[in-house]
Parts: sequence; C-alpha cells; structure tokens
Amino acid sequence: MPFINDILKYSSLSIVGLEKNTGKTECLKYVLDRLPVKTKRIAVTSIGIDGETVDQVTRTQKPEIVLREGMYFGTSEMHYRQRRLVSELIDVSDESTSLGRVVTAKALTGGKILLSGPSSGSSLKRWMGSMGQYGIDLVIIDGALSRMSSASPAVSQSMILATGAAYSANISTLVSNTAHVVDLVNLDLTAEANMRMLAPLEHGVWFIDTDGVLHDLNMLSSLSQDIRFEGMENCATLYVAGALVDSFLEKVRQNKHLRQTEIVVRDFTKIFVSPQQFKLFLKAGGRVSVLQKSKLIAVTVNPTSPSGYVLDSDTLCGKLTEAIGLPVYDLLKSKKCN
Amino acid sequence: MQLKNIIDSPCGIRYMLDQLDLQSGFARRWLLDSPMMTTGDEIAVNYEVLRRFYDFVQRVDTTYIDTLCHKLCGLKDIRTTISNLSRKATLDDIELFEVKHLAMLGTYVAKLMRQHGMDGVIGIPDMDEVINILDPDGLRIATFYIYDSYSEPLKDLRNQMRQHPEQQDELLLKANEIEMAVREELSTKLHHFAGTIEQAQLALAQIDVNLAKAMQMQHMGLNFPTVSSDGASRYLAMFHPQVKAALENRGKAFQPVDITFGLEPTLITGANMGGKTVVLKTLTLCQYLFQFGFGIPASSAAIALKDDIHFCIGDDQSVEKGLSSFAAEMKHIDAVIKASRENRKLLALIDEPARTTNPTEGAALVTALLRVLAGRDMSLVMTTHYDIEPGDARCLRVKGFVDGEMDYALVEVQDGEVPHEALNIAQALGIDSEWINKARDLLQHGGAPIQQSDNH
Repeated sequence: MPFINDILKYSSLSIVGLEKNTGKTECLKYVLDRLPVKTKRIAVTSIGIDGETVDQVTRTQKPEIVLREGMYFGTSEMHYRQRRLVSELIDVSDESTSLGRVVTAKALTGGKILLSGPSSGSSLKRWMGSMGQYGIDLVIIDGALSRMSSASPAVSQSMILATGAAYSANISTLVSNTAHVVDLVNLDLTAEANMRMLAPLEHGVWFIDTDGVLHDLNMLSSLSQDIRFEGMENCATLYVAGALVDSFLEKVRQNKHLRQTEIVVRDFTKIFVSPQQFKLFLKAGGRVSVLQKSKLIAVTVNPTSPSGYVLDSDTLCGKLTEAIGLPVYDLLKSKKCN
Repeated sequence: MQLKNIIDSPCGIRYMLDQLDLQSGFARRWLLDSPMMTTGDEIAVNYEVLRRFYDFVQRVDTTYIDTLCHKLCGLKDIRTTISNLSRKATLDDIELFEVKHLAMLGTYVAKLMRQHGMDGVIGIPDMDEVINILDPDGLRIATFYIYDSYSEPLKDLRNQMRQHPEQQDELLLKANEIEMAVREELSTKLHHFAGTIEQAQLALAQIDVNLAKAMQMQHMGLNFPTVSSDGASRYLAMFHPQVKAALENRGKAFQPVDITFGLEPTLITGANMGGKTVVLKTLTLCQYLFQFGFGIPASSAAIALKDDIHFCIGDDQSVEKGLSSFAAEMKHIDAVIKASRENRKLLALIDEPARTTNPTEGAALVTALLRVLAGRDMSLVMTTHYDIEPGDARCLRVKGFVDGEMDYALVEVQDGEVPHEALNIAQALGIDSEWINKARDLLQHGGAPIQQSDNH
C-alpha cells in the first residue's frame, strides 16, 4: 500500500479536514488499521477535543478511534477514564485542557478511545517532543475542525487532507477550493540563500533587493493599515513574517515594480488569501514561496455530506485528481480513484 | 505573613524569586506559601541546611547537579490525591500512577543524595513498601496500570480479549469489576502511607528550593548572614542584585555600601541620585531574604530579627488605588506609628517622608516623626532632604560628588545638615542653564524674589 509506506517515511503526520464530516476520523482509522505496529512505535493524539461519539455540531454518528495493541496515545484525563481498552499510564502532564490534564499511555490491548490531546500548538509540540524518550517512530495528530495549524510544518512533517461533500455540495466549487488548499500546501521552498536570511525574522515585513541586501519595511504585518512600498524598484523578494492577507497581496499586484516579485511566507498555514486573489497575483507574474513545507501525502474524499447529500464518488475523485495531480482516495469505498 | 504576601514589595524581592532556578511548580508554590521566620532557632536551622546544599553545589560535578535538577522537574503537586488517600477514598488509575511516580522519584532522589553524603540533610522517607504495592512485578518503572499479576481472573479475561476482540466490550465490563476491586484493595493498603507520601512530596520540594537557593548564592555572589543578638544590623559591601544587574547591562558597576544601624533612629541625607533610596530598598530586601532563608547580597551581614518590616516609599502602589501620593504615604507611616505601640520588634524604612508637601510643614512632620519614633523599641532608617534637627538620631550622609564622580559610600556625620548639591547635579546632567542659573541667582539673593525679569 503506497499510501502507508509514504507515511512511514516521516516522523509525524497530521490529518486535517477542510470541514467537519469530511471523513477525517475515517481517514485516521484507515491509517491506524494498516500501520505495522509490530515493527514501528506509533503515538496518536489530537489537537483539542475530538473523537466524540456523536458530532457535537451536526449530531451525526462519528466513528470512535480504535487503537491497536502497542500504540501510544495522548488524551485528556476525562477521556482516559472512559477508555475501552487496557492501557498502561506513562505520564500525566502539568498542562491542563478543558477536560483535565493530558495523559500519555500505551495500549496493552486493542480498543476504543476518545482522543482529546494538547489544546494549543505549542503544547502539542512539547508533547510530540516528549515522545522521543519512548522511542516513538511516528506521531499522528488528528487535527481539529478547520484548524490547519496542526498541519503546519513547524508541527508535523507530513499531512493528509480530507475533503468532501460537507465542505461544498457543488462539485466544481469543492474541486477548485480543495485545489487551492493543495496548491498552498505544495508551494515551493524559497532559495536557500533567502531561507538563511529570512528564517530568523519572526515579525514584520521585509524585502531583499537584487543585490541580496535585506531591508526592513517597518510594518507590523501585512494587516498594517499603512502599507507603502517606497524605494523598492530593485526588490527581488518580499517577506511577510506573519499572515499574508488579500489586501496586502492586492497592493503588491497593483504596484508596477512589485507585481512580478516573489513573496515568501513562513509556511502555508500563514496564507489567508482567497483563491481568486491568489490566482490574480500568479497571473500577473508573481510567485509565492515558503520557508518550511510539509509533505502532502494524499487527499481523501467523503462524498456524503451530513445533510444527506451524496455526490458521485467516481466523478468527484476523477475531477479532483485532474485538478491537483495527486492520488485521491474515497476511503469508505476503500479504493484509489483514478 | 507568607512570601506571597510581600512578593510585590517595591524592594524588588520578586526579582530574586524570578532568578531562582526552581525545577517544579510545586516547590514554587510551597516556597510562596512558606511563612516568614521570626525566631533565631528557625533561621539558624534553615541556614544550616542551606549551607550543606551550598557546599554540595560547590564541590559536586555540574552534570550530577543537572541530573538531580532534571529529576526534580518530575515533582508534581499531588496534594488532592494524598488527601483522597487520607480520607480512605478509592484512587483511580491516574491517582495511583501519581503515587507510584512520586514514590519512585523520592527513592531515586534519595539515592542521588546519599551518594554525596546528603542523606541526613533533608530526609526523604523510605518508600519501598509503597512502590512494592504498585509494582507487583518488580519492574521498577514509573508507569502504571492494574497489572495482570494482581488477579488471575483479570489476566484470563485480558487474554480472552486479545483472542476474541469481538467480545471485547463484554469482557471489558467483567474486567472493570475486577479492576475496581483491585483499586479498592490497593487504596486500602496505601491509606496507611498517606502521611509518608505527603512527607516525601514536601521533602522533595524542600530539596528543590534549597538547591535553587544554593545555586542562586553561587551565581549572584550572595553570602550567609549571622543572626545579630544585640539588635543592631551590620552589612559590609551590601548590594542590590537587580540594580547591579541593570547597571552591568549598561556597562556600569554597582558600588557596594557598608551600613550599620541599631535601635536608635538612623537618618540618611545626601545629594540627589546619591543612592539613598537604593540603600533603603536593599535593606528591606536583605531583611526579607534573611527571614525567608535566602543568601544575602553583602560580603558579610549580621542581621537582627524583626517581627514586622515596613518599607514606606513615595511611589507606593496605593497611589494606583486612588489615594493621593501624600495621603498614601501618611496612611502608611500612620500604620508604622500604630505598630510601634505594640510589643513587636519593628523595622521601618521610610524614604523621604512628606516630600510632596510644602517644606515648612514637611520639615516639621519629619522632625516630629523622628521624635515620636525615637523612644520606641524599633529600628528606623529614614532618608530626607529637609534640614532638620536630628535629636538623638544617628546621621549618615552619602559622600556625594568627589572629583566629578558620585561616591555612594555612607559616612557618619554629627548633624543632619543636608548637602546643597542639587544645582551642581542638575548642571552635570546637562539641564537647561537658563533655569539652573536663575535658581543660583535666587539663592544668592537669599531667596528673595528677583526684582528684574527678562522682559524688562
């Protein structure tokens, strides 16, 4: 199974859904069922509350997460007490979530568990770091509802994106919006020289001129009210340390010196730009690249929406594959769409 | 009074706590909750323990200290679990894990301490029996679950679960019942050790705190004080660590100060910027550090014990509570006078009282305050800019400008006459000369209003 082998090349994987009920938990189940637990040490957690038996928003049935013997997991005290498997407690953290402290344990039998791990990106990173001492080969993060942050390359090396009818019941909207996210995840890394210069900069907006000299634009962020591009005729690369937003991108596009420039952001989770604005910028000759990148392993689809609407699986898979040039899987049909 | 009550004192004790390299949150809470020591015996015992840790930090390899610190990071606050255990509640797996984790940590730290002859300093009770209860297989690993070896039927059920996953839910229900019985049994056995476990947790916190204090002494160059028996406090080369660090950051050096004060009032006068307020801040800080058992920022210190410490400084926080600066100050000093009537050993450090009112009334208030407090059984150190009759007070004066450099040393003088250096200092600061010269003119005319103005 190429899908699974790809996952094993990385030490961390996050599974994120574009919307609730796009089959994220199904995808996690699919992956967990197929990983070689005998030879690899796997740890699973989730960011925030997840893995409810009934979806809190739409009241639809959600599959529970089934762990296999030997897997490590991180969940809240409350959900640990409700576990339906035999497990050995390894650690109780000092950090609290709304459901109590985060507990780390090892499954001694297979069984069901509700996952609710560290509630912030930084505590998730700390938790993942602590897994090193148990010799964990792969950490899997069940990303929370529309929180791409857990898929940030700063947190996990690889990701699987779940999309589906719950995101949009219109196939062409669904395909184009999914393709936009895939485009962002797959943005190229910037040149190594830029990377060395820009990686330490955590705030503000900067540019590198054609002679390779770095300049501070003295802007707090791309959200700044007062965006002015002066003395930037020789700008080669524009760096936005924080979020990249529509209004900023539009101003860059409308500046005749800048419209063909390269914009660098830290990673794709920092881009908050509409597909339209993004396309216009690329059309005008601009480029967007990143300092850090995570590997998109696969895209999965759930053609059924919680409202009962069902899209044709084959048509959907076909159109998505065509649009993104990556394998797309309908996991409920458990086959690769071509 | 507990440490947490004075943590925001303007003397800057928060800085000392921030610079204390504590490993566990529990030790920090324990330290903040610790009461101020007010007897010589308590303080002597405390410093005896700290001295052992100080020697230990000096002589032992840093990798060893690092190991100990790393272990102490694992100290958790399990007071809720301990109290559940004391009242005979049945613990759940997480609580049992916490107990086992603490017991193993205690045993490990005790072993580390024993290796360096530190076992008698802070005793960690023997936890072997507790560990044995929670480690039936003798694995000595700090993880926990209801082990198969607790119950043969449980072991069978779990094996069936592995062979027949389809029956898991049903088997789990049966297993849960056995697990509940095991937890009850374990909790009953552990109940007798609730006190021991609590003692171990406390001992580990004390080790964390003493280790951190000892390392702080080493880093900041702090020293052990002696308890003064004659009511006088004597400091040689005293410094304020926070001010010193701030100066060093700007490439400047802190000039340490020698000072002695007893039960007669001490009046400090001196030029502006002569460090008078810093002296009061440091004295307050040292007194607190002494009575909470920290190292003292001075090359040597003999400190008299006090029951109450009052530090009255103009920029008191009560100003933020809506009182005028004058009102806030008067209220604070009022509290000192009232406290001085009680039979308690008092230390009052008052910075430029009545400075915000007119000089005539201000000087009268300060003189009167000195007279009122002079007869009381207390230590008083006060700074002022007013020319007042010192009466029985000892007078110290900041040396002030010597060859263009500020000398912060304190010298004993016979009267309280204040130096008249404000204009020179302002000039040295580069303040507008029109203003300063006009002030000089005014002084030369004996304070009489100038007849001529620039407009004429």
